[in-house]
Amino acid sequence: MKKFKRRGRLLQCRFSEYEVKLLDSLVDQLSELIRVGMPEPAAPGTPATADPFALWERDLTAEPADPEPLEDPVLQRLFPNAYPHDPEAAHDFRRFTEHDQRTRKLADADVVRDHLAATEGGRYPVQIDETATQAWLRTLTAVRLAVATRLGVTDADSLDELAQLRDDDPRSYLLSVYEWLGYCQESLLEAL
Amino acid sequence: MAPRAMASEQEGGVTPAGGTAIAERPADAELDHTPWVTIVWDDPVNLMSYVTHVFVTYFHYSRQKAERLMLEVHNDGKAIVSSGGREQMERDCTAMHEFGLWATLDRAE
Repeated sequence: MKKFKRRGRLLQCRFSEYEVKLLDSLVDQLSELIRVGMPEPAAPGTPATADPFALWERDLTAEPADPEPLEDPVLQRLFPNAYPHDPEAAHDFRRFTEHDQRTRKLADADVVRDHLAATEGGRYPVQIDETATQAWLRTLTAVRLAVATRLGVTDADSLDELAQLRDDDPRSYLLSVYEWLGYCQESLLEAL
Repeated sequence: MAPRAMASEQEGGVTPAGGTAIAERPADAELDHTPWVTIVWDDPVNLMSYVTHVFVTYFHYSRQKAERLMLEVHNDGKAIVSSGGREQMERDCTAMHEFGLWATLDRAE
């Protein structure tokens, strides 16, 4: 890819077919990870109903379900503990915010995947409307956080160590993906 | 409140507007006025330009202030990015998480 360029209200960039597939697959994997174990906003087992008043009443009266502990380190990083010194408050915070957080991350991811699909495999440039840039930036961030977690990046030192990887190291491909994602995001920020 | 007014009527006292119900007010003890803060922590992944962008976009800070806070996060490992009531700080913290920043809440010292 080259850099993002501004054309009026649009930010444009040409991705190769490979880059479109790569980013689409990464965003898809991210969405899948976020969707699994998604806490329900209302009490489980409530029968489905088409009556909007019944739905609103249910949402207003039902307490959100208790969130499952986050086992995956990627999810732990995407949904950080807001109250590290207060387990009870941390639990409540997750209970009342995490479902919305996951829903928003999924919506952002869908925006990116729609844009990628519109390129028809890289035949046309990616075109991002100003209103959609936040969704792109947030999604690129989430994907970068996920890849970095899988690479074991915990601090600046671990990143320096990765830079010394030999080419035949299985992590070197993922590292190149991580670097490409960083370039993509930086270029989008510069074009804003 | 209603039960009180009825009681005084029974005692024969003159209570004007005895039937008027007064909405229960939240107990003052539950209104915590201690200021809270939102703290953003350094992480090796988020780009400096992005962190600055988030502070400008979400908090509407000037570019100068956003950059100063970003550098504080980068150099000192963390920075207080906003302060106020607990609910507002929970909203700010949630927003930081939405942007992928590592944020926590705490009582102001």
